[in-house]
Amino acid sequence: MKSEDIKVCVLRIEGTNCEEEMFQAFRQLGASPEKVHLKQLIGKCSVDMRRNLPDYDVLALPGGFSAGDYVRAGAIFAARMKSSLSKELKAFVSKEKPVIGVCNGFQILVELGLLPAMDGIMSDHPQAALYTNSSARFECTPTLLKHENKGKCIFTNGMAKGKIVMFPCAHAEGKLMFEKSKEKKMLDKMEENDQIVFRYVDPEGNYAGYPWCPNGSLSNIAGICNPAGNVMGMMPHPERVMYRYGHPDFTRTGENPNSAGDGRAIFESVVDRLVRKA
Amino acid sequence: MRMAIDRLLKKRDVPFHLFDVSLDKASDPQLQELSKDLGLNLSLDEMKRVREHFRSLNRDPTDVEIQSLAQAWSEHCCYKSSKVFLREHIFNIKHEDVLSKGDAGVMAFDDEYGYALRIESHNHPSAIEPYGGAATGIGGIVRDVLCMGAQPIGLIDPLFFGPIDRPVELPAGAKSPRYLMGGVVSGIRDYGNRIGIPTIAGGIWFDESYAGNCLVNVGCIGIVKRSELVTNAVKGTGDVLILVGGRTGRDGIHGVTFASAELKASSEDESRGAVQLGDPITKEPLIHACLEVNSKGLIHGMKDLGGGGLSCVVGEMALSGGCGAEVDMDKVPLKESGLAPWEIWVSESQERMMLAAPRKNVKRILEIFDLWDVNATVIGKVVPGKKVKLLFDGVQVFDMDLEFLTAGPEYCRPSKVQSPQTKRTEVFPKLPMDFDKILLKMLSDPNIASKEWVVKQYDHEVRGSTIVKPLSGKINLRGPSDATVVKPLPDSYRGLAVAIGVNPWFTSHDPYRGGATSVDEACRNIVAVGGRPHALTNCLNFGNPEKPERLGELKEAVAGMGETAKILNLAIPSGNVSLYNEAPTGSCLPTVTVMGLGIVEDIRKCVTTDLKREGNALYLVGRTKAEFGGSTLFRTFGGKGGEVPDVDAKLLQKSITSLNACMASEMLRSCHDVSDGGLAVALAEMCIGGDVGAEIDLSVMNPLPNTVSLFSESNTRWVVEVEKGREKEFLDRMAVPVTRIGQVGGNSLAISNEGLVLEKPVDVLRERWSKPLWELLV
Repeated sequence: MKSEDIKVCVLRIEGTNCEEEMFQAFRQLGASPEKVHLKQLIGKCSVDMRRNLPDYDVLALPGGFSAGDYVRAGAIFAARMKSSLSKELKAFVSKEKPVIGVCNGFQILVELGLLPAMDGIMSDHPQAALYTNSSARFECTPTLLKHENKGKCIFTNGMAKGKIVMFPCAHAEGKLMFEKSKEKKMLDKMEENDQIVFRYVDPEGNYAGYPWCPNGSLSNIAGICNPAGNVMGMMPHPERVMYRYGHPDFTRTGENPNSAGDGRAIFESVVDRLVRKA
Repeated sequence: MRMAIDRLLKKRDVPFHLFDVSLDKASDPQLQELSKDLGLNLSLDEMKRVREHFRSLNRDPTDVEIQSLAQAWSEHCCYKSSKVFLREHIFNIKHEDVLSKGDAGVMAFDDEYGYALRIESHNHPSAIEPYGGAATGIGGIVRDVLCMGAQPIGLIDPLFFGPIDRPVELPAGAKSPRYLMGGVVSGIRDYGNRIGIPTIAGGIWFDESYAGNCLVNVGCIGIVKRSELVTNAVKGTGDVLILVGGRTGRDGIHGVTFASAELKASSEDESRGAVQLGDPITKEPLIHACLEVNSKGLIHGMKDLGGGGLSCVVGEMALSGGCGAEVDMDKVPLKESGLAPWEIWVSESQERMMLAAPRKNVKRILEIFDLWDVNATVIGKVVPGKKVKLLFDGVQVFDMDLEFLTAGPEYCRPSKVQSPQTKRTEVFPKLPMDFDKILLKMLSDPNIASKEWVVKQYDHEVRGSTIVKPLSGKINLRGPSDATVVKPLPDSYRGLAVAIGVNPWFTSHDPYRGGATSVDEACRNIVAVGGRPHALTNCLNFGNPEKPERLGELKEAVAGMGETAKILNLAIPSGNVSLYNEAPTGSCLPTVTVMGLGIVEDIRKCVTTDLKREGNALYLVGRTKAEFGGSTLFRTFGGKGGEVPDVDAKLLQKSITSLNACMASEMLRSCHDVSDGGLAVALAEMCIGGDVGAEIDLSVMNPLPNTVSLFSESNTRWVVEVEKGREKEFLDRMAVPVTRIGQVGGNSLAISNEGLVLEKPVDVLRERWSKPLWELLV
């Protein structure tokens, strides 16, 4: 497959608002992204606007406040998808096609049961929650993340384990939680399945509290994948740092502002994989 | 009296609310009573003018007509008190890069694109209902940019409140500054973050005078392909009018007339309904749909429904296209049934836009709005002749000549210019012996202290194009930025720098210099990140213009701003005036909020305020004088009077050119403008972001006393860090006074002048600067 043949569905509804930068991230790597409204996938529009999920190679759920997030973040978008697109979604994921959700997209994947999905493709009920930040505030701030995945996640194949990267975050509900009684068991199983992708750290790479971990997330977790490694969700925004000049300290570090930003590796990993595969 | 007024309102025999207003028979006191009773806020002379007009037509106006006139003739809509000054100093500024002066100004960005800019006030609504008032302020300014066909790319929010760090006497009915600030910031956060437009710049200022008159200024910038720049007018009689977006309700009735009067204790009860309700999740898809129908060439014109609602938008769009319109008011989608025609006509319900489009495109337009589940309804058509007619339930309720409707009065009210404060009036405050104490106290002043508490609540990076962020420096140790830079186009390194310039204290001491300073400061900030100042827009917040001293301030400040902009060749393609910011305890400080836009040729060469490397030399650019009028030093330690810093616009022009050249050849590693708190505060802030100290020797500034060198707020100055080894090159490039004041190094800010003047570890400076707002706003 050539990179321009990679069709990326950047899915949105009202209130999804990070689709432009998600679109640009894939476009800059030569793939062919398209911004698609959910109604276009479920036939609720004029014939010429209709699209089919199986025609795409990657599904990307951007950040934002889908439907306003006036109930639990991501819940409404997830409910709409579940009621009208479940079958196609399951098929998409079982074919090991890549699915990425960032910020609100991560929240949607958790609400859908596509993450952490410890026992298969899609759980009937959410197995985790992305709860209100411990600070009870919206946190727009740069965060440092340590790459913790041992190789399962197809979005970080191009990134050395232990590497520390900077992705900015901007959310009010990013604190990963499990049911209290199952917390330890779930966490152990996630480790065992190699489902942990990123943890928040300080500049020395230590797990640290606020402000380094902006939301109080369980075990400092910032991003996770499903057991198969083809579905990844994370709170911070890799698509906002495709180039060094997007980094908040690029005027300090002396690196070439044109060189790759830390987020680029996420999109490169998946594009390279699809190019190699076919 | 009451009975008499009721007799002047004649109910029509129709199954809905419609009255004829018997102006013809009304006495002068009755005219005044009518104006008050119907919430028109029109003066006696204005009421008489209306009466004359309808006498010439041999009939009385309907309530719909007279309400419509009140909207169109309000200070808010027609600038009747300020236009005379704006014409003299602002409207006559010509600039070759102005592409449009519509609801937002549009300037050339590059050969293919333009950028839109506008800032306006939402002061009165925010004083009554801070959360909703601020949110709908954002909503309104976004629509002003959107209706030029521009994608909004940044929000800018300068806010002004009463003090939050000390008790303050509040006028009856006024809410506490902390409550107002909390509500306003939350409103901006929840609306701005949801619509996905980054809040990139702004600021917060505190002063007693804002305790009864908080100011909420809201700015927006956008980017538009020149070929897709749309007018706010109909094209001709083939067009239909399509109302899109939210439904119309009873929220936001009399918003503009309310905004054109002083606030009083009873405003809360009387005018709550004037505050609109915002809905960002209607706005977000509305933006997509409006931009899509425009980029597909389906529409001829677009305009937002803001102040005055339908009553303003229909008339203005039709008249701008040299036409009239007929509107079927039954078609307007309502939030609730039973609204009177006049309420539908003047409601300022949010999230609405009007499109003018050829009839053949209606189907495709409605399909696009339908995909986003946003209402779109054809409510009328464009007709020949400059008249608007309204039908409701088949009955004509409105028939007005547009030229009369929109020809609002214009006043040359009496103004009194008071002589500015000078050196002769100066009372120098008694200062602590210890310069450390002065500096630390200033760093902790809420006007100077870090605004991180606010900044982190706003998503300033959504859209992924914010290059210089609102805070600069090492992660989690950041200091302030002077301007924010966005990169609007994915395939171009060209950027836009955005900055605010405002100094209400200078303006109250010397309105002319205060106006000039706003321009100087906006330019300084833009230059500090590597931008070339290009255009300004402004929001002029003043007290009651019917008081000659208030109007005198406005007159002088506009002159100072306009004349400085002229010398610098800066365009002012849009602007806003907000008057009557006056409570029983007095007026707000005269507040000239200038939003400056600069072109950044290559965003990769941007410079930030944080110090970078030990051993690099530090220079002070510009001239320092003993100018303390309105300064932080005087305000903090009780000084009075004094001369306000002057602006030498020619020197500013040269400084801009010199610094732009230095940054283009990448010899400057950091740069910070010198403003509130003077050189000492500027240096401290640079150390904080860079997490490194500086060694400063003031002897090069002798014979100036240390107090002047450190704390004077003379305009047109910057501190720059020059890359080691390039000092000579730098000096050769600079065509303005430059003084080498020291170098980067150590863990402290150490200042000497033949002996130590001040020394404080950077950690202490950071602590004192970073914490106040977090502690005050727990």
